[in-house]
Amino acid sequence: MGMMAMMSTLGAIFIQAIELTAFQRFLLMWPLCLAIAVVYKSTRCVSMKQVPSATLILWVTMVFGLYAVGVGLWALCRLLV
Amino acid sequence: MMQEAPHSIRAPIAAFLSWILPGLGHFYLGQGARGLVFLVTVTATFWTGVAVGGVRSTVDPQQRRLWFVAQMCSGGNALGAFALHRSVADSSESPGSNLSSEVGVHYTGVAGLLNLLVILDAIGRAENLSAPTIRRELSESP
Repeated sequence: MGMMAMMSTLGAIFIQAIELTAFQRFLLMWPLCLAIAVVYKSTRCVSMKQVPSATLILWVTMVFGLYAVGVGLWALCRLLV
Repeated sequence: MMQEAPHSIRAPIAAFLSWILPGLGHFYLGQGARGLVFLVTVTATFWTGVAVGGVRSTVDPQQRRLWFVAQMCSGGNALGAFALHRSVADSSESPGSNLSSEVGVHYTGVAGLLNLLVILDAIGRAENLSAPTIRRELSESP
């Protein structure tokens, strides 16, 4: 019975969408960029010891680069519209 | 010449195993640490996307055909999510927020594309592992 309840709860987590605010959606870019950086650097680095530092540098670059592009596009829209 | 067959099938086996479960191909090639990183990262990214967007609108081959192709690159994860989608597709409950679904679709699609990168890496490593052996065999042959 307990197992069934646990399976039902687990199922419910993946079935129903989570309501997110705009700020939460904005923050969800960080873990996605981290996943991309981890996988990319794990394929490129010869030794796995190099992966954490290389991943951190790439992750920070991606996050700030994307925010910079976002701010740039926002500013462009403000100027044109 | 007798040992060439296992080398030639090593890359396809590694690719297939990586498709079934991210990182499994690297385990097969003896690179367990790398395989574990791929397994945890790709699987966590995929199921985070399903949890955020809900399986009904995230893994949907009718509404999001191209994203579904990208999701299918993560193999076992995508097949599991698709089976869950099929089992709840007829439910009358609302699928939830459309904006959350977009986030979920991006997460699962990117996880699939990352696994494509993992598959290509496994193929490359399998071929690199085979190449020195083949070269040695050729240089030793009279």
